Amino acid sequence: MKKYGSTVLLALLLLVLSVGSLFVGVLDMDPGSLLTGDLNQLEIFFVSRLPRLLAILCTGAGMSTAGLIMQQLCMNKFVSPTTGATISSAQLGILIALLFLPDSTLWGRALFAFAFAIAGTWIFVWFIQQITFKDVVLVPLIGIMFGNVIGGITSFLAYKYEMTQALSTWLVGHFSLVLRGRYEIVYLVAPLVVLAFVFANHFNIVGMGKDFSKNLGVPYHLVLFMGLTIAAMITASVVVVVGSISYIGLIVPNLVAMFKGDKIRGTLIDNALFGALFVLICDVLGRIAIAPYELPIELIIGIFGSVLFIGLLFYRLRFGRKAVQLSALLGWDDKTKRGGDAV
Amino acid sequence: MKIHNLTKKYDGKPVVDTVSFTIPKGKVLSLIGPNGAGKSTVMGMLSRLIAKDSGLIEFEGQELTHWKSRELAKRLAILTQTNNVSMKLTVEELVAFGRFPYSGGRNTAEDQALIAQAIAYMELTDLKDRFIDELSGGQRQRAYIAMVIAQDTEYVLLDEPTNNLDIYHAARMMKIVRRLCDELGKTVILVLHEINFAAFYSDYVCAFVDGRIAKFGTVKEVMTKETLSDIYKVDFEVIEIAGKPLSIYY
Amino acid sequence: MKQQTVLTKAQRANQRRLVILTLLMLLAAAAYLTVDVNFQNEKLFAYAMRLRIPKLAVMLITALSIGGATIVFQSIIRNTIVTPCLLGMNSLYTLIHTAVVFVLGSGSIVASNPNAAFGVDIVLMGIASTVIYSWLFRKTKYNVLYVLLIGTVLTSFFGSIQSTLLRVMDPNEYDALLASLVASFSNVNSRIILFSLLLLALLLFWLRRELALLDVLTLGRDQAINLGVDYDRCVGRLLLGVTLCIAIATAMVGPISFMGLIIANLSRQLLKTYRHGQLIAGSALFGMFVLIGGQTLVEHVFAYTIPVSVFITVAGGIYFLYLLLRERRR
Repeated sequence: MKKYGSTVLLALLLLVLSVGSLFVGVLDMDPGSLLTGDLNQLEIFFVSRLPRLLAILCTGAGMSTAGLIMQQLCMNKFVSPTTGATISSAQLGILIALLFLPDSTLWGRALFAFAFAIAGTWIFVWFIQQITFKDVVLVPLIGIMFGNVIGGITSFLAYKYEMTQALSTWLVGHFSLVLRGRYEIVYLVAPLVVLAFVFANHFNIVGMGKDFSKNLGVPYHLVLFMGLTIAAMITASVVVVVGSISYIGLIVPNLVAMFKGDKIRGTLIDNALFGALFVLICDVLGRIAIAPYELPIELIIGIFGSVLFIGLLFYRLRFGRKAVQLSALLGWDDKTKRGGDAV
Repeated sequence: MKIHNLTKKYDGKPVVDTVSFTIPKGKVLSLIGPNGAGKSTVMGMLSRLIAKDSGLIEFEGQELTHWKSRELAKRLAILTQTNNVSMKLTVEELVAFGRFPYSGGRNTAEDQALIAQAIAYMELTDLKDRFIDELSGGQRQRAYIAMVIAQDTEYVLLDEPTNNLDIYHAARMMKIVRRLCDELGKTVILVLHEINFAAFYSDYVCAFVDGRIAKFGTVKEVMTKETLSDIYKVDFEVIEIAGKPLSIYY
Repeated sequence: MKQQTVLTKAQRANQRRLVILTLLMLLAAAAYLTVDVNFQNEKLFAYAMRLRIPKLAVMLITALSIGGATIVFQSIIRNTIVTPCLLGMNSLYTLIHTAVVFVLGSGSIVASNPNAAFGVDIVLMGIASTVIYSWLFRKTKYNVLYVLLIGTVLTSFFGSIQSTLLRVMDPNEYDALLASLVASFSNVNSRIILFSLLLLALLLFWLRRELALLDVLTLGRDQAINLGVDYDRCVGRLLLGVTLCIAIATAMVGPISFMGLIIANLSRQLLKTYRHGQLIAGSALFGMFVLIGGQTLVEHVFAYTIPVSVFITVAGGIYFLYLLLRERRR
């Protein structure tokens, strides 16, 4: 029972907050009139509030899962869609779609975003595999710079074809444009997360290295690229709908690992739940901070995320690879913990 | 140079604990002891690289911390273990830095002569236009020693000068240490891991254990079977070769 | 004792290189001032000069500040792949500037008088960066990779807070506020030229001793102390100088993260020396050449469509990756 304690707790918390968040917004809404069938209220509920909540949950769960997969595959705690050039590649893809296929639908743009995100992530991982000696923080540093270069190319093209206005929607992530009919792509996240769950053990093995997985009969390259593809597709579907949301894929898996250890199978659900919870809280904060206006979620996460990330770095610097100490501290029985990451 | 009740603590734990001794002038003194015994920390405090927590270091009649850093640099030189220069610097330019405490960066003809002398003394004349980062470990170590010579100080402190050198270069380094003392009349203080080098090339030995001095004295006094076994907690055998104690441990 | 300056062959070659760089820079400046200018019509000529001369001055000052600050900073940290801008110093400045207007209100003297605003910003920047960065360096024990990673995160941290402040001030006018509060190459802040020059001169005078010690600092803390340098005080003062130089550049043209990295490394590659007088001169001259040449191209070939900072980001990012990999391979 104790083993699932954290999962149950997170799920309950998420449920309560989700329901609560449905009633936060510019227009007042109360559960009573919703039940009595006020048409006006029902419309707001189904056109705006519910889609928004679902998008938030998909974003949080999806991005944190994508981050966890990438961290497992690269065996580096600081790799994520932000620090692995995935987000910036997806943005470039969207811009290319806008430029060359101006009439494209949301799905058309999504296809471009998928293709570019996958290619960008592959190139990044191939790139870091070329360096024999990998410093723990060198890898994310290269990823950030790689993302900067791609971002620079994106803004170059945007300036050249006067698309900066159109692009800005995808640069700063926000949920205010999530309405029925414009966000359904984000549902793709759900099957992808399930897929990730099915292959969780494979990702764990591939993360241990090429020889290790060969020895166990796991096709290294196939699983590696499949895993990266899943992560990139999750990221791209979020970016197309919501825009860039950084740090979730970085922070959430690290925080969860501090409590639950590193074995991917055991943490995936908690990780996804916690990710959704994190995004939900940030979104509610953004909605009430300067009501009736709202702050883009990217800014809220940018502030909390960077503080948390720096905290993580200092923790790591202080305690080295013994990253999992809190679980022992809190008395959680966890035999599977391996302690930190191997590089 | 007199050291009195020198203490240094890290996170509340004393690394160097009330250490007192006097450094004999014009001699070679080796600091030995197991890892973590506090040798390098003592060296750091003697050279003002590490701030002491308490105790006194009397240098030429005045407390070390009261000396002006620039004046001290003309009397005392330290060479630490880690010396990596990331900038493009030739051997000659590195050695020229030894004159910095005197010239403040604008070297006179006299300074130039001393620099050339130091380079020649360390047999580096052929290498003087090579960049430091292109040299082998032994050559680089010699270049740094040449800089210390150019600094022309009465006291020379060397922290594990034989570290990372092969047998040939390590032995050569120790002969240089001896020459610094015998020919140039300097007081040399070294931290050494290789106890037989300490026995063969120094006049005095100071053995540290757990931040305290276990034994201080001449080579013959310290390098005995009993003392060494006590310090290193392994069995020792000491035999005499060419009038010097040679120790074997197993 | 007779003072004698002994110049080696390499040093004389370097001096020649610097002269050539200066000539190139002057050529670029002349091109910037004269391309597409109507010399016949006196009024048009005067108008063009009124626009171009302040902008040229801004670019010269920016290049000098960034070039000098980067070389000094690299020598303090003893690593050539860092630049103060990668540590978020320019986003910090932008944040401080926004915060000052936010707190004092857009009707206050700080919002209307650029020199007053600059003065307040500079003071705050000096305090804030000294606190933040000395803490950062101490906490990471000068581990360059950690410093860099935290720096890039700080960049987005400061940026997020600044954007939030702007949106809180007036969500409808967000874009207009952004443009008015953050300088850029298309919108240079030329009204603080005199103030900046004065500040730079004061800094040079205040740091004249520390700057002369830079050569020795390159040897590292232990060697510098051994040679009689008051290391901690010296580094502290230089770091403050670096911050203020970055503040000057950011106040004038906005954030350009990679520029310092490019010009400092070009200077180091060309001059292959440790002498900081030459390195700083080389870096500043490279910066002036790159900025002025780039801006001339942007204005006359690309007809203002693409800001020069975009070019610098792409080229600088690739150059940075190359440097990282080269550093690893050794």
